Amino acid sequence: MSVIYSLIPGMMFLGLVFFVIMIWAVKHGQYEDMEGNANRILQDDDEDMMP
Amino acid sequence: MNRQSTHSTCNCFHCGLPVGAGTGYHALLEGVERDFCCLGCQSVCTAIFEAGLQGYYQRTPEGVLLAPPPEPPRDIDIYDLDEVQQEFITRSGDLRDIHLLVEGIHCPACVWLIERALQREPGVQLANVNLAARRIHLRWDSKLNKLSNLIRALARIGYSAVPYDQENAEGVIKKSNRSMLFRLFFAGFAMMNLIWISIALYSGADKGEFREFFYWMGFVLATPTLLYSGYPFYRGAIGGLRAGRLTMDLPITIGLSVTYAYSTYITVTANTIGAVYFDTVTNLIFVILIGRYLEGMFRHQALSATKRLTELQPRVATVMQDGKEQITPTRAIRPGDHVLIKPGYKVPVDGIVLEGRSAVDESMLSGESAPVNKSAGAKVTSGTVNTNGALLVEVSTTLQDTTLAKIIRLVEEAQASKAPIQRLADTIVPWFVLVTLICATLTFLIWYGKSFELALMAATSVLIITCPCALGMATPMSVAVASGLGARHGILIRNGLVLETLSRVTHFVFDKTGTLTEGKMSVAVMRSAPGVEISDILRSSAAVERYSEHGAARAIIAEADMRQLNFRNVAVQGFHATPGLGVQAEIDGKTVLLGSLEWLARNGINPDAGLQAHALELEAQAMSCVHCALGTVHVAVFALADKLRGDAQQLVNELRAAGIGMTLLSGDRKAVAESIARQLGGMDVIAEVLPQDKDKEIQRLQQSGAVVAMVGDGVNDAPALIRADVGIALGSGTDVSVESADIVLMHNGLDKVRLATLLSRRTLRTIKQNIGLSFIYNVIMVPLAMMARVDPLVAAITMPISSLVVIGNAARIRNLFNHEKP
Repeated sequence: MSVIYSLIPGMMFLGLVFFVIMIWAVKHGQYEDMEGNANRILQDDDEDMMP
Repeated sequence: MNRQSTHSTCNCFHCGLPVGAGTGYHALLEGVERDFCCLGCQSVCTAIFEAGLQGYYQRTPEGVLLAPPPEPPRDIDIYDLDEVQQEFITRSGDLRDIHLLVEGIHCPACVWLIERALQREPGVQLANVNLAARRIHLRWDSKLNKLSNLIRALARIGYSAVPYDQENAEGVIKKSNRSMLFRLFFAGFAMMNLIWISIALYSGADKGEFREFFYWMGFVLATPTLLYSGYPFYRGAIGGLRAGRLTMDLPITIGLSVTYAYSTYITVTANTIGAVYFDTVTNLIFVILIGRYLEGMFRHQALSATKRLTELQPRVATVMQDGKEQITPTRAIRPGDHVLIKPGYKVPVDGIVLEGRSAVDESMLSGESAPVNKSAGAKVTSGTVNTNGALLVEVSTTLQDTTLAKIIRLVEEAQASKAPIQRLADTIVPWFVLVTLICATLTFLIWYGKSFELALMAATSVLIITCPCALGMATPMSVAVASGLGARHGILIRNGLVLETLSRVTHFVFDKTGTLTEGKMSVAVMRSAPGVEISDILRSSAAVERYSEHGAARAIIAEADMRQLNFRNVAVQGFHATPGLGVQAEIDGKTVLLGSLEWLARNGINPDAGLQAHALELEAQAMSCVHCALGTVHVAVFALADKLRGDAQQLVNELRAAGIGMTLLSGDRKAVAESIARQLGGMDVIAEVLPQDKDKEIQRLQQSGAVVAMVGDGVNDAPALIRADVGIALGSGTDVSVESADIVLMHNGLDKVRLATLLSRRTLRTIKQNIGLSFIYNVIMVPLAMMARVDPLVAAITMPISSLVVIGNAARIRNLFNHEKP
């Protein structure tokens, strides 16, 4: 059971990492536009490059 | 995906609307003839093809109908002036960043089109469209291109863009709410981890070898939570103490600090008698932060009211210098300058008319619905709208000294001096805090004789168990649920605190124009000379008036439309309007005159005695009369009045039945205001008031002990809306009044005032119930804690239950309007 000594701090560290990532994402506007970027990826831009 | 195949020939190629026969808008695009519904669609589509961006039409998702392009914004050139741009841009060297609010974005293809089109413009470094917020973030080199060119480029492809000041629009409140959200997230994260640790402890780990390890983990999680997420409570408590008040934050911080300190003491000394309560610390922070966050969402955004007011003043004006027109920023105008105000534009300054005649719409300032005629020598006020003629004005005051600026100062004064709303919970909390502290001290003293350890533990558990959770949640939860319910029924609650106040209101003050009345003229009475058919006259009059922009014209046309008179294809020749007097035109060679009696007299027509007497009678009832003459004969009179709103009578009756005092405040003439009050069955009337008088009148009522609600919609109501205990604005009102109000009624339903009152009563009752519930909980638990009978497990179970009960009770408010239709 001594694995608990590394698992619990590890879990807390991971949680903290996710928390930091989330704050970073909110602050950098990742949640500002949920529709636009979802669609942008589907729009082909390579017509003029096609042979 | 290909629109060309999905579109049949009889639909507009651009927007897909059906094309009427013979509209005649075509264009030859890539060798194919295309039809359009309007010139807008045609030119936009041609521009798109010319730019080689026709891929737009392939990218438009199937089923999405484009709309015809919105009207391009006016006066784009002013945005090139540095003084104007300054407010919107952030710059680094020649590079400038701006956010544009865009009208006309409907689908992802628009994102593609806008970004592609803007990137082709010289000097554009970044063009990023936010589809959800309908905004563009633009970065361009001001040396290579002008902002007006970029906005024009957008207009060519069918989008109307205006600069948007993001920082000011959302800035402070959004930031504080966001930081609250981060604190909430962190508390949630810590709480969830601590629950696992607590479960392990309760299920036996507190006896085994891991006991100390778990205690230390709890310590590691609870410490940052207390410092970071709990910081607002400490700030609030210290702020309250400094101001000499016992606030809700005080018992929370005492509870948190004592619990944390005790648990830390147990952890550090590895004491085997006590237990740790780190989970209680984080739970408490998390649950109360939820309440605070909900409360923060309804925070009064009063600051922006002043900002909206300032925006009413135009930023630029046309100054006449040596006979030349010069566009100048408003702040550079000096008293004595001559300013030209074109029809349809806002008056930028206060001044005196030198030349020209026009009707000026002052409704936003005075509440007067009909435009006021201005000619040489008359005063004009900044922010009002010039309707139909050009005016040359000599500037008397600018910016800070204008009437509009004075209203702004009134709003600020009212905000600063308004007494804070006394909440029910606030009146109870100090006592609650006091009793808790006394109980804890007593417990300590009683048990001190036995052992110090035990005394400390018992006193601490009293502080912990009187957890102000339920008390802290009692108000915010009820207000949040009530606000949500209100929003679904067209009652927007901007300041949740007034929900408690509204049920205590003893006096309602109404604005007249636009609030009790519809705020626009309509034909109330029509009378024709003997032997003349009134509908014939109305048809001819409407045919002539459709060329006029005057408010009276709109009323006559609306009346003719309502009677389904077919007047739109009557041929009218030689239309001519004389501002302030009337209009003249010919139908079938016969002259039609519409206007005042003076207008008829000037054209050599003798008034009909019967009609004249009738008009005098109507004017005594505060209606304004439009006279009509056919040929050389005075044939009819139309009496125009501002009609009461349909539900005004019902509301006034209900309020009267409930014994609530009512006052009608109006900037309008006394006769008009009294006529309205009479129609409603009588109430106090104070007419011809200025904005500052409205504010003072409410102050006077408040000093006489009344709790006042103000219902209004104009800019001139803004100070009064803020001053009143409850400010209620109509959704159609000016932005400023909406920003100043606590409650906004959407769809202008006056009967919503009644629903809002019901909602308020119910909310107050729920708050009382919730406070009662949290007292019952304390009455049971505190004696147990004083007897040192509360172990950690009991505390961990009962404390969340007390919060849940309060939340559940608040949720019951949602059933209130089950019998009302939404």
